[in-house]
Parts: sequence; structure tokens; C-alpha cells
Amino acid sequence: MLDELNLNYRRIGLQAAFWSVMMILLLSILVNFVNISNTNQLSAYDNDWNDMSAFRQDIKDLGIQTNSLVSSPLLLADIEDPRNTTYILAGVERDTLSLPQFDSDGFITIASEDGYSPSEIDAIVEFVDAGGTALVLDDYGFAGSIAQAYGVRYTGYQLFDTTYVQELDYNYIWMCIQATPCGMNGTSIDPTTISVHERWSGASGEGAHPCSLMNGQSMPLEDAGLCAHHWNNGEIEYNATYQMLLNNITALELIPGVNGALSEVSILAVTSNEATVDVNGDGEIWVGNEVNSETPDLWGQFNLTVEACARKSCDPNEGGRIVFIADGSALINAIYDYEGFNDPNNPLYGTNNCVTNNTKCIPENDNRKWALDFIAEALMSSKIGEEGQPSENAMVIFDESRHPQNALLADSYNTVYFLLVYFTGEGLAMLLLFLGLFIAFEAVLIKKRDPEPWRHVFSIIYYGFGDANRYTYYAKTDKIRQVFLSKVRNQNGLSREEFHAMPARELVSLINDPVLAKFAIEPSKYSLEQTVAVVKRIKAWGRT
Amino acid sequence: MWTRKASFTFTGGIALILIGMMIANLQMMILGLTFIAFIVVNSWISGHGDVEVQRTLSADNLYKGDDLYVELLVTNRSNRNTQLLEVYDNIPHEMKLRSGLNQMRLNLKPGESARIRYVLRCPLRGHFSIGPVSLRSRNTFNLGVEEMYVDHHSDIVIFPQIKEVEEAFLRSRTPKMYTGATTLRTPGQGSEFYSLREYVPGDPFKNINWKAFARTGDLMVNEKCRDAVTDLYILLDSRDIARIGTVLKNPLEMGTVSAASLAAFFLKRRDSVALAIFDDNLSYLPPDTGDKQYFKILSALAGVAPKGTMPLQAVTNSLSGRFSRGSPVFIISSCEGDGTVPAAVRDLVGRGHEVTVLSPSSIDFERLVSRIPRMSYEVLKLERQNRLTTLAGSGAMVIDWMPDMDLSQALMQVRGY
Repeated sequence: MLDELNLNYRRIGLQAAFWSVMMILLLSILVNFVNISNTNQLSAYDNDWNDMSAFRQDIKDLGIQTNSLVSSPLLLADIEDPRNTTYILAGVERDTLSLPQFDSDGFITIASEDGYSPSEIDAIVEFVDAGGTALVLDDYGFAGSIAQAYGVRYTGYQLFDTTYVQELDYNYIWMCIQATPCGMNGTSIDPTTISVHERWSGASGEGAHPCSLMNGQSMPLEDAGLCAHHWNNGEIEYNATYQMLLNNITALELIPGVNGALSEVSILAVTSNEATVDVNGDGEIWVGNEVNSETPDLWGQFNLTVEACARKSCDPNEGGRIVFIADGSALINAIYDYEGFNDPNNPLYGTNNCVTNNTKCIPENDNRKWALDFIAEALMSSKIGEEGQPSENAMVIFDESRHPQNALLADSYNTVYFLLVYFTGEGLAMLLLFLGLFIAFEAVLIKKRDPEPWRHVFSIIYYGFGDANRYTYYAKTDKIRQVFLSKVRNQNGLSREEFHAMPARELVSLINDPVLAKFAIEPSKYSLEQTVAVVKRIKAWGRT
Repeated sequence: MWTRKASFTFTGGIALILIGMMIANLQMMILGLTFIAFIVVNSWISGHGDVEVQRTLSADNLYKGDDLYVELLVTNRSNRNTQLLEVYDNIPHEMKLRSGLNQMRLNLKPGESARIRYVLRCPLRGHFSIGPVSLRSRNTFNLGVEEMYVDHHSDIVIFPQIKEVEEAFLRSRTPKMYTGATTLRTPGQGSEFYSLREYVPGDPFKNINWKAFARTGDLMVNEKCRDAVTDLYILLDSRDIARIGTVLKNPLEMGTVSAASLAAFFLKRRDSVALAIFDDNLSYLPPDTGDKQYFKILSALAGVAPKGTMPLQAVTNSLSGRFSRGSPVFIISSCEGDGTVPAAVRDLVGRGHEVTVLSPSSIDFERLVSRIPRMSYEVLKLERQNRLTTLAGSGAMVIDWMPDMDLSQALMQVRGY
């Protein structure tokens, strides 16, 4: 009883040890793939000051469907109407999982430190090629691989400009969407340096913003549709000036000699001529006429927004386009919805210095106006009679796949979903998956057996064999002679001693058969026929 | 446990979902999800094997070749239906299903019972066990199977067959030998009344004559006349060499039949019968009479299996001191592979025992299963005849028992030697 109890404890202990090791192994794998971060930001589905819920809510209020993409941009390949879809990527904070895949040359590669795998970049490029619109907002993240596909590079170094917001700090920089940089007059932007968005204003002759075409039209607010933010006193008052506020930005470069996926690349916004870039990241700016170890940093004019279009007009009906902005936080709630952020009576995004001390308030900016105009241009219906309204299938997709989640389950879910999309979207993975499915089917076919039907089998088959080696021994002449002599002895009731002492002549007379007598007395070789004849004779001997 | 069908459905469902995702085919994904949902829903509806089983046998002891009637009562003691439940009564493969089936598919409601009846033929002697009862529950679409068993066994002993033995064949050369019980006018164990005597402490209560007690007021007991009986000793060779032949025809099988038949014959005549079985050990049942001894002998014979190489002389040396003087001894042995047989027989004859050697012809049994060259067979037969002649010369009655010969026929040969 005690032994049985001990055995039970040992079994439970063994089970516990086994499952503990399994859990440790599983956790060690998960830790490698799942990054639980406390800095959950730039999500369109969270409403902290550094998330983008206000932007998403505005889009929803315009009657446009919003979706999140939590697994992989590979899913963009499944979008049925790319023309009426806008893909927004704000802050690529996490690298892709390093999984093997085919590269553009057909070789197997393992993506690493690229943010997006070659297949994912291909999916984004194909989406834009198919007429989709993409907006990439990033600074020091992993969006570089996407930008490179269009001949653009994120420098990844912090940029400082003289056009910064003095009541905040030098990290907050003004960006005017116009051909020439705007300048400062004291603590605010000099109004004389403000110009208009070159294309949207219609100054370039083509590609004017659709809301500009409705400029001056009287209509109720409900009919303003995607241009509602330009509606004022019963009519559309379109204005193509955009002073956008950025925070902690980097710069964009056009890669020389590289032709991107779209032919028409244009720079929409630049810094002032006195902008500097902290290349060595020491927080200090050391610039000179040439870049060396003493003056490693850069100064001059840098690009802040780059647009790549399929056609010069950038008309969404004629092809896709992609816009890169050198700041991942351009559309965060604090800047985008600065009124809600600053409102001391009803702060929408928690307390801050502006709410409590009336300091560090976010200044008025055109980020919301620009973002909604971007959406309006991309998703406004081009059908006659639907001016200003979103198209039927209008949809905005927020890429949440590269935002770390602050919950284990959410991040695990994203990882699993990513793997699922990887295995159903990536060529090599699909091959592996097909192979896996084939093996699984084969395994089921070969290994899985239904329980046999019960059937009683009556079986009493049994054979008890003797020693077959003795058969040859009993066919030998000497053995036959021995058996015959035993028979002679038994038949005549003689003991062994008497029989051995018997003279040969007497034995011959006892046998009384010349053939058998000769067989008994004269050992000689016998053929098989002769042996058979002798055995027959022995068998018959003594019967009479 | 999932069936093959369930595994295919599940794998197919997963494959359809994944391939549907690959080629962006919603219908295919929905079909795959339907497969998976079908499996999941089915796993909720499962049967159970929480049943009570009771087996009734027509007899606990049978003779070889008899029929055994089995009835299995299955009752659902739980509060829910069993669903599709297969019940299978495990029976030894040495038993033949003569009629009925030892399995049934049931769907029992709570408290409901079902009976499974079948008949078994038992062609082999031995100790057997019927059971356990295997249960297999399946769900409605045969997607899941669960197997379990009810540990319910019924033990059964199959005795060797009893053949008719004619008295004439067993007549001894010694007068009054093999004549059965004769009454002696002396008190002792017996069947006929001898006298009344006063009760002595230790007398069994069943011997008290209650009428005499009522009449006299003293406790009186009946005394019986002692029956004089013949003590018969049967020595059965169960060495490994006795296995040669087929399952139904081999020296040991024929030996057990002959031992059981001789024991039955003599016990019926109220003689005492002793049985010694030698293989790698010697097991000995001392002489006794009655049904109890008969049962003991049959039980011992039922469990005999060929093994070991104990020589006959070791047996006779060990037991001859216990043999009653002049009592008959039956040696049932093929006399193969044991050089001590002539000496042992000579010793028994010398002690005044009436020795009969009943010798199944092992070479002829071997011929049933092996292709023995003709000449070797003839020489082997000659050697065997020499051996039997030697035994006959020692004063024993020797019977050469061929495989196709009845026991009665074989016993007739006593005169031949």
C-alpha cells in the first residue's frame, strides 16, 4: 500500500517535472518572439495622448470603414478594391520575425533587421501598384525597407530646425507643406513665408485637391462629406496651406540613382536651410564645411515629406501613391486633436502640463486638416453626383502589426496570426505548408487505424514436433543392426550378458535367415535398396 | 479516441481553411470551418460504458467436447443513454462459438437491460476463464471511440473426456482383483449397517441414531461395515516428450483421457484410486474413493501440461513404498526417451504389483505432424516394439495404443502380450 502511494507520488512528480520543462521551453520560445512593451503607442485603437484614436474616429465619422492589420501586410494582397483603400503605417517599432522566404531572385533568405520581409514589401508595392494609397509615418523605426522600395531613405538621425515651437522645445518642429520652407518671425511662423500645397492648390495645373474643386460651393454640412472640415458658414472654404507640427523627427533622402517602384517622386515639404542633423547622436551639433570627426553632424535643408505617385497628376483614379513623412507621431492625439489635449475643462487624453499649469500646450496646427485632406483625396467618390462623399468601398487600414502590445495574450495572438498569414501568404511557407498538409494526410492514412472489429477466433492449432535429426540416424545400417540384434535378444528371452557371450554360430542359427545373419555378423556397406530389403526382412522376422 | 474518419475530417478541415486562406477562397474556408465545427459538436455528444455486467454459466465444470451455455446481462446503471455501445465478451480462443454471438451493439436507456446468449463448445481440457467484458462506445457519427472493459471473469474447468471401459478388458490374472468393493463383517468406513453403539465424544453428529436416542434416552451412533476396496495406482507420464502430435491427438491428451476413464471406472465400483503425474515434478493424489476423489483426479488431469524429463524409476522409487501390496498399477506413458522404464516396471512387478503399461505410440503421433522417412519410421517402430517386448518380458501387461484406436480397443490388446 505504502509502495503504491510512493509510486503515485513519484509519477505525479515526474509529470510535474516534465510539464515544467515543457513550459520553460515554450516560454523561452515565446520570449524570443513576443515583445511585451510598456510603451504601447501610435495605435489607432488606443486613446492615450500618444495614440491615434482621434484620427481613426474622424475617419469613422466620415462614414469610412476602418480596419486594423495585426498580422502582416501580406494580407494587402487580398484587398478587393485597392483603389478605394488607404493603408496607414505609423511607427514601425518592431522588426519582423526572421523566417525563411523567397527573395526577388527566387533564393531562400531569412529577413532580419528590415522591419518588413521582402514578401511584405512586395505586398505593399503591389497594393500601391494596384491603385492603393499608402501613408508611412516613421522616424527611427523599421520603415526604411518600404521607403527603399521607392528610392527614399529614412536617415534615422534626429533633425533640428530653427522652425521649432519655442514654448515647447526644440523637438517640436513646424513643417509647411509647400515647395519652399516657411520661416519664423519671433516665436511664430512668419505669415509671409507661408505658401500653399503646390499640387493640391491647383498651382501646378493638375492634381488639385477634390475639396478645392468644391471651394465656394454652398451646401449644408451633411453634404460636405469628406470636405466637412473645410465647411464654414454654409459653404466650402478650401485653403491649401498646411503648417504641420512634428515631434522628434528625422530626415528623408532620395537615394541617388535608384528608381523606385513609382516613377513620379516629389518632395512635398522641406526644412529650413539652417536645419541640422545630429549624426553621432551625442545631443550636440558640430557642423563644418565638411564632415569629419571634429564636425560629424550635417546642416542644410532636408526633406520631411516625400510623395511617390504612378502619374504626375497623382490622381488616385490613374494609379496608386505613397507618402512618407519623417515623423511617426504626426497624427498622435496630442497634436492631431490639440484642442482636446489642451482643454482644461475636459481633457480627453489625461492630465498634462497644459491642463494643470497652462504650460507646454500644443499650438494650433494643420495636422488634422492635412490628414483629412489626404484621406479625402484618396477615398472621395469620383462618380457624378457623389461629389464630396466617400466611395462605396472606402476603407482605411491601420497597420498594427509592428506595434508591441502590452498584454501577453494580445502579442501572442498577433504573433500567431502573423505566422498564419506567413504560412498562407509567403511562397516558401506555402510550399512548406503544402508539404506539412501532405505529410499530415499521409500520417493519418498510414498511422491512424480504426479499432478492429471484435471477432472471436477459434484457434487450437498446435503441432508437437519430435526431433527430426534422429530420422537420418535411424536410417543408418549400424542402428538398424542394433535394433535387429535387440529384437533377436528379446525374442529369445536372453539377457544382455547371455547375448553378448553367445558364439556367432549360435547367433546364426537363432536368426535362421542367411541374409539377416550375414547382415548381423558381417558389417559391410549396403545400398539403399538393400537396406530397405533388409528392414522389411527384419520386420517379418520372428512372426512365425 | 478519434476514429480515422474524424482524423480525416479534422485534417481536411484544417487543410481547407489554410488552402482557402492561401487562395483567398471564402467558401473553402467556410467548408473547412464546417468540418471542424462538426467534429467539435460531435465531441460533445458521446456515449459511455457505465454499465453493470453479470454473466451466468450453465456449469462451472464440463467434460471435454461438452457445450457451455453463457448468458450475459448488461444493465445501464447511469442516468443517460449509452449511445452506440459495443459489448464483447472475451472468450478463450480454445473454445468454439457454437451458436449465438458473444457480442452485441446496444443503445441502452437509463436502467435498461439487455441479454447476450451464446453457446460455446469446449474441445480442449484445461482451466479457462471467460472475461473480461470489453466495451466500446461510439458517438453518433462514429467520429470518436472509447474503449474500456468490465473486469468480470468466470472460471471454468474442462475435464478430460470419460470413455466407457468394459470390465472384461480389465480382468486380472489374480483372483478377486478388480472386483470392486466387498463388504467385510468388521466395523469401519463403509456403506452397510453393522451395529449400534454408544456415542463417544468425537463421533460425527450425522452418525447419531435419533430414533434409538428417543427410545433409550442415551446417545447411540450407527456403525457401518468396512468396505474392502482395491487400491488402484495410475502413473501418468506428462513429460515434455508427451506433447508430440496434434492438439487433440498426442500421448498426453490420450493419457489424460485414459487416466480419467480408468479412474471413473474404478471409483464407480467404490475402489480407491491414486493418481501420480510426473513431468518436471511429481504430483501425487493418495488413494481414496468417492466423488470427491473423482473430482480431484479430474481437476488434476484438467491442468496437466507437458514439461520436464522426470524418469519413471524416480517416480516408482518415491512412491512404491506407499503402494498397497499387490495393488494394480497403471503406467500411462509412451516409454520414449526414458531408459529407466524397464527397470522401474521390473521393480514394481517384483514387489508383487499387477503392472499394466498403456503406451500411446508416440512415433505414430509424430507421423501425424511430421513427414518421417519410411525406413526410419520402420526402424523406430521396431525399436519401440523391442522396448514394449522388454516390458512384457518383465511381467507387465503392455498395450501399444495407436492414435486411431479407442481406449476400449486398446485395452483389449492386453492379451496380446
